[in-house]
Amino acid sequence: MSSRLFASRRERWLAKRIPPARQVRLDQRRIFILPTREGLLFGVALLVMLLAAINYQNSLAYGLTFLLLSLGLITILHTWRNLAGLQLAAGEAPPVFAGEQACFRVRLQSSGRAHSGIALGWPPAALQRLDVAADGSGEVELFLPAGQRGWLRAPRLRVESRFPLGLLVAWSWVDLDLAALVYPRPVSGELPPAGGVGEDDDEPGSAAQRSGVDDFQGLRPWQSGDSRRRLHWKAWSRGQGLLVKDFTELHSHDLWLDFDSLGGDREARLSLLCHWVVHLTAHGQPFGLRLPGVSRPPALGGAQRDLCLRDLALFGLPAAAQGRQP
Amino acid sequence: MKKTPLPIPRISLLWLLVAQVLVILPHLFHLPVWIGGLWLVCATWRIQVFRQRTNYPGGLTKAFMLIAAAAGVYASRGSLMGLDAGVALLVSTFLLKLVELKTRRDALVLVFLGFFTVLTSYLFDDGLPAALYSLLPVTALLAALIGLQQSGLSDKPWPTLRLAGSLLLQAVPLMLVLFVLFPRLGPLWSVPMPGTGGSRGLAESMTPGDIAELSQSSALAFRASFAGPIPPRRDLYWRALTFEQFDGRRWSQLDEMTRSRPDWRPEGPSLSYSIVMQASGQPWLFALDTATTDLEHTRQMGDFRLQRRRPVDQSLLYSVTSWPQARREVQGSPRLDVALQLPDHGNPRARQWAAELKARHGGDPQGLVDDLLGHFAREEYYYTLKPPLAGEDTVDHFLFDTRRGFCAHYAGAMTFVLRAAGIPARVVAGYQGGEVNPAGNYVQVNQFDAHAWVEYWLPGHGWISADPTFQVAPTRIEQGLQQALPAEDTFLADAPLSPLRYRHVEWLNQLRLSWDNLNYTWQRKVLGYQGAEQLKLLESWFGNVDPARIGMILLACLGLLFGGLALVLLKPWKRPHDPLLRQYRRFERLLARQGVRRGAGEGPLAFAERAALALPGQAAEIRAFAQRFAHQRYADAAADPAALRRLLGRLRRQLPWRPWWRTGNASAGVRGG
Amino acid sequence: MRTQLESCLAAVNQVLLGKDRQVRLALACLLARGHLLLEDLPGMGKTTLSHALARVLGLSYQRIQFTSDLLPGDILGTSVFNRDNGQFIFHPGPIFAELVLADEINRATPKSQSALLEAMEERQVTIEGATRPLPEPFFVIATQNPVSQGGTFALPESQLDRFLMRISLGYPARAAEKALLLGEARRDLLPRLEPVLDHAALARIQAEVPGIHASEAVIDYVLRLVEATRSQPAFALGLSPRGSLALLAAARAWAMLAGRDYVIPEDVQAVLPAVAGHRLRDAADPAGHGGGALVQWLLREVTPF
Repeated sequence: MSSRLFASRRERWLAKRIPPARQVRLDQRRIFILPTREGLLFGVALLVMLLAAINYQNSLAYGLTFLLLSLGLITILHTWRNLAGLQLAAGEAPPVFAGEQACFRVRLQSSGRAHSGIALGWPPAALQRLDVAADGSGEVELFLPAGQRGWLRAPRLRVESRFPLGLLVAWSWVDLDLAALVYPRPVSGELPPAGGVGEDDDEPGSAAQRSGVDDFQGLRPWQSGDSRRRLHWKAWSRGQGLLVKDFTELHSHDLWLDFDSLGGDREARLSLLCHWVVHLTAHGQPFGLRLPGVSRPPALGGAQRDLCLRDLALFGLPAAAQGRQP
Repeated sequence: MKKTPLPIPRISLLWLLVAQVLVILPHLFHLPVWIGGLWLVCATWRIQVFRQRTNYPGGLTKAFMLIAAAAGVYASRGSLMGLDAGVALLVSTFLLKLVELKTRRDALVLVFLGFFTVLTSYLFDDGLPAALYSLLPVTALLAALIGLQQSGLSDKPWPTLRLAGSLLLQAVPLMLVLFVLFPRLGPLWSVPMPGTGGSRGLAESMTPGDIAELSQSSALAFRASFAGPIPPRRDLYWRALTFEQFDGRRWSQLDEMTRSRPDWRPEGPSLSYSIVMQASGQPWLFALDTATTDLEHTRQMGDFRLQRRRPVDQSLLYSVTSWPQARREVQGSPRLDVALQLPDHGNPRARQWAAELKARHGGDPQGLVDDLLGHFAREEYYYTLKPPLAGEDTVDHFLFDTRRGFCAHYAGAMTFVLRAAGIPARVVAGYQGGEVNPAGNYVQVNQFDAHAWVEYWLPGHGWISADPTFQVAPTRIEQGLQQALPAEDTFLADAPLSPLRYRHVEWLNQLRLSWDNLNYTWQRKVLGYQGAEQLKLLESWFGNVDPARIGMILLACLGLLFGGLALVLLKPWKRPHDPLLRQYRRFERLLARQGVRRGAGEGPLAFAERAALALPGQAAEIRAFAQRFAHQRYADAAADPAALRRLLGRLRRQLPWRPWWRTGNASAGVRGG
Repeated sequence: MRTQLESCLAAVNQVLLGKDRQVRLALACLLARGHLLLEDLPGMGKTTLSHALARVLGLSYQRIQFTSDLLPGDILGTSVFNRDNGQFIFHPGPIFAELVLADEINRATPKSQSALLEAMEERQVTIEGATRPLPEPFFVIATQNPVSQGGTFALPESQLDRFLMRISLGYPARAAEKALLLGEARRDLLPRLEPVLDHAALARIQAEVPGIHASEAVIDYVLRLVEATRSQPAFALGLSPRGSLALLAAARAWAMLAGRDYVIPEDVQAVLPAVAGHRLRDAADPAGHGGGALVQWLLREVTPF
């Protein structure tokens, strides 16, 4: 209870100090620094060495102890500097299906100096490490499990560096406004036959399409696998090479994926629709999608697939969860 | 969630292996030989593990290796306690840890162990070369530590080392401040000291051969710096201890009689000087007669020597004030009878001669002493490092038969005769003379300067020193041993390479003296920088030295250095923006003060156009600036921030002055889409 | 050169009143060797614009009315057997003109659409195995009717990407419309338009467009814009690399029209709606035409510095 209270207060404090932004430059207000466990161990070792120096009254032992202590002190600057000035920018986060790992790209850009051993991630998961060359940039892919459909908002990202000695850790919590669209988990299943075409009869375009028989479209060069019966022998006899008569197959009716025609609860229906969107796109079959309040006319291709999956992902979610509109 | 242990990057492992060699190298001089073999085994094993030719050792193997190492230490040191055995154990652990080096945490432990092992090497050798050398293992250990943090992608070891070196360099100023200002405490508890192969230098008892043996050693005994001019060489009789008991062959000291405080009065001018003595393994210090010191746990003993409570196990710096003309125990002492002790039998000829002398001089003991000394000068006595072997009655044999001997022979014989004649006398052992180093204006005394002379007591005068050797070989006293033995060629005969043998080669001698001076400065200024010396220095700098004040000064110095380093490292004046953009930001701030703000997505000319509409009076200047800015930034033109600054200045003069805190209110009306 | 371009614009503006900006964009599109998609209701002057451009620039002009039964051969041309000499003779289609107006392109089947679009991209056509180059310059203005969706085949993204710009003329301003009503029929003015440029001059100007200096600062701005479209969650589809190239090319042409030999952020901003609007997809807009709001967001939020 109290820890949750603390967490929420910390979150609010952080939000004020490091507000969410797609691009963040780490500066002194955003970097925190503390000794690591190794640093504490180093302190204990220094104490033992100091005791030895005192008891043996040995100036060199004092010298070595102080040298290491000074190193520990200046490491504060180096560790801090290793993080300061680093620019983080949110990159693409391609959509994923629920149950998969969402991948967030984060770009790190150096302005001026090199940044070594930068680690990013969401504890307690292991952090990803990379180096950024001076005036260079680097990119990391961070993964979060995508639990349910909708927008997956990544929590605050921990950026830390223990370079150079590992005795101190400088870190920051940045909110890069990372979000990935999570499509429903595809679940295969049977689609009800002839997903409702009826109400489209009055549209002029559909008649033209439905009357479709095999229309001669033109000639194209022969490729292996083409039927011999379609060879354009006349052209061949004229010495124009092997040409094939190309016919286009217009679909007698469009395939509609209709939410209302399915049974089961909402998520199960969405999962099934999701499966079919993927499946039909993979098999090159045009389709339309109809959800309560949303209608996508039949089409084919990656864009259609993406749009339909997006509709499925966000269907029925409150507006706030549909992602921020620019 | 359990984190998988991070593997050790290649570069880190490489530097760890290098560091290990560097760390144990100075220890090999005093550690058992098998440690080297252990290192070879461990390093080979670890490299094979890295090349995936073999596996990490199992728990049993590890336990066996540990026990074997401990047994080895016990076998070669006879104990597991004590500093020697402790360090041997530490180094063994440091080596064995390498084999089970798996995770970064293991490596970290190894690095810290390494630092500690470097520290222990200082207990055995704290000279300047050793100190400089120890920077190598420290740098390598640091490189290993840095390598642990690098993300395994880099495969070049040198940048890591360079970084380690630069970190060390940056740490040096802070280290110096800490070294000078950090308060030195006395030892918190007693710790075992390195047993450096027994005591060196003068021993608790003496046969004549002992000093002859010391004369073959070119090792350093101590160095002394005088506050005033250095007294002439012939006056430099450095007392170490006295021998009061003679058993016919051997002179030795009497324990019980040295405890009580002697009675003496300072008289005449005094000499102030400081001495840095090498570890001797013995408690007595060296000083000119009659000496006092304020060194802790040190007192003047009954025979006027200075003695510390504990043996001198490390080089020691102390300051002394001496009164050469002081009168000592004029009133007599209850122990004078000890100074008359002789064995019951032996050396009949010497006794008889003493009786003759006594009869001749009767009530004039000083005359007797003068006669005795004159005897050595008059008769055919020779000073040699190779006296013939002594017979049964050593004194008789020397005085009447061979007449060849070393300082110990002369001092022993004279004391014997004086005692036999009823004059209290004793042998004083110490060093005589020393080499004046002109570079550093100090006297350096080596073991071959060991000497023995005589002290006798006369009523009304107290103790008086006399040196029979001076009668025989005045060059020994006035110039030194080497000059006293020109024909014999026995000086440092066992050490043909010792630079001391080549003092006649001018440049070599100069080199040796400078190097020696450097070492002495090192010893005095660095190694001797302990409690009293620190206080003295701080007092001369800051006057009053109460701990709070020193603490403040320490913190202030650290803060200053830290801040300076921060400035150098972070370069806050170096903005990431280019100069053109900086001028443009100023332009924006200037207009924002007038209530015209640029929208996030607004281009420079579009904004200028809007600002010109809002501020028609300054439209020309605004446009001129924006045009020039756009031209410099976007056309292929040379950047000229100065021109922009001029245009900006012109605009600023045109604008009505408005303070920066009154900027917000006017903006709402003008802010465009 | 600048005066030539200015007089071109002035001439077209005589015919098409109050559409200065669109005319300028169309000319910039042509100078950048891109193709233009006009999206508008009928009667807004799409044909007039294209015809006027063709005349002013001295280009040969062809119009293809796209219908659902239009076949690729109708666009590209066909080989016809000549009985007299027993040879096949190629009859070039209407695409073999320098400025082609593809009217209502979304009425044709995807097959015919792609025949046109592939020709646009490759600037040559392959008919019955023989490859024939299209004239140089070659400029396609395609029009699309956004309202009537019945029986149409909306251009897929991949095809939309081939148009450098998409603009819509929109209703004329009141004053312009009044002048329109008062004056003589604008179409009658068309034949009287005199060519301002010849082929050589046009080629020279087109060759100069890539030489317009785009500084690193401007390229950074373009990159920021492109990155925003790829990383912001509201963008269903980001700009492709072809899109960013198009943006820079169009900005260069726009800078040239403004008489500058370097690109400033305002140039990029001026062409951004036309270049990026049809390449962006906002999920909130089911028709997929809603790049407008996203472009406005980009203009507002992505800083040029």
